[in-house]
Amino acid sequence: MEERRFPISNIVDVVRARRSGLEMALKMGFHQAEANKVAVVISELGRNIEQYAGSGTITVLAHDKYIEIIAEDEGPGIPDVERVLAGGYTTSRGMGLGISGSRRLMDEFEIRSVVGKGTRIRAVKRLC
Amino acid sequence: MEETDLTETSTIQKLENMLLVAVPRDLTDSEVLRLRRQVLQEIRRYRSRWVLLDFSRVDICDSFFGRFIQSTARMAGLMGARVVVSGLQDAVIETMVELGMTLPNIHAVLDLDDALALSRSGQWGDESVYAVGTIDAEALDWQDLPDAALPGAAEV
Repeated sequence: MEERRFPISNIVDVVRARRSGLEMALKMGFHQAEANKVAVVISELGRNIEQYAGSGTITVLAHDKYIEIIAEDEGPGIPDVERVLAGGYTTSRGMGLGISGSRRLMDEFEIRSVVGKGTRIRAVKRLC
Repeated sequence: MEETDLTETSTIQKLENMLLVAVPRDLTDSEVLRLRRQVLQEIRRYRSRWVLLDFSRVDICDSFFGRFIQSTARMAGLMGARVVVSGLQDAVIETMVELGMTLPNIHAVLDLDDALALSRSGQWGDESVYAVGTIDAEALDWQDLPDAALPGAAEV
């Protein structure tokens, strides 16, 4: 199993992480379109970290049959996770599609968020 | 990471009444904003009636990029220029649509040949062929694009 950890504190970090995630997914044998989805999810989750928490990490794990993305931060947390997952939830910087869209691109998607403590999002895309 | 030189001739070129914009890959948000401003400047300079945003080099297109396309089209529209998108890769298209990102009032063509045919004809093509769909503008909150690249956004 290969694991890569990306500290996120600005958009350059996000660009690097998504490029690296795309390469990992392609190396695992994902179709270009599936690898692209993995990269976009890393990008959306990375943006959320940068915008709302300021900093955090994204870890990408290449398992035998699936790729796993874990985004963690110690930011303000998400007050209403259900609403964010439903989509259309926007703040002044517009995040509506980031989380709800990412969920649609992946096979598994879990959010654990505690207001004032932080957020952990785990997303999985399976090789098929 | 080195800054992308957006002024290089290979990024923005004039062809007839069209501005060709070869969108580079891996742009940061501030580079995206700079590119958009450059496009507007060049529209004014060349009095371009059409802008072709060529995405053939772009292999990752997240929701921020969608906002870029949409806002560029709106701004160019206020200068009398129409924006056409070309060269979207199959994988990028699949992801954009599944993400929920489609582009209202943006015409997409397969390649430069089709874009030229469109600009020379001086009119939009058959919408059922060229349009790629509709974005839920509210969900994307397009107006927020400039904020993301103002002070507080990542310095590159």
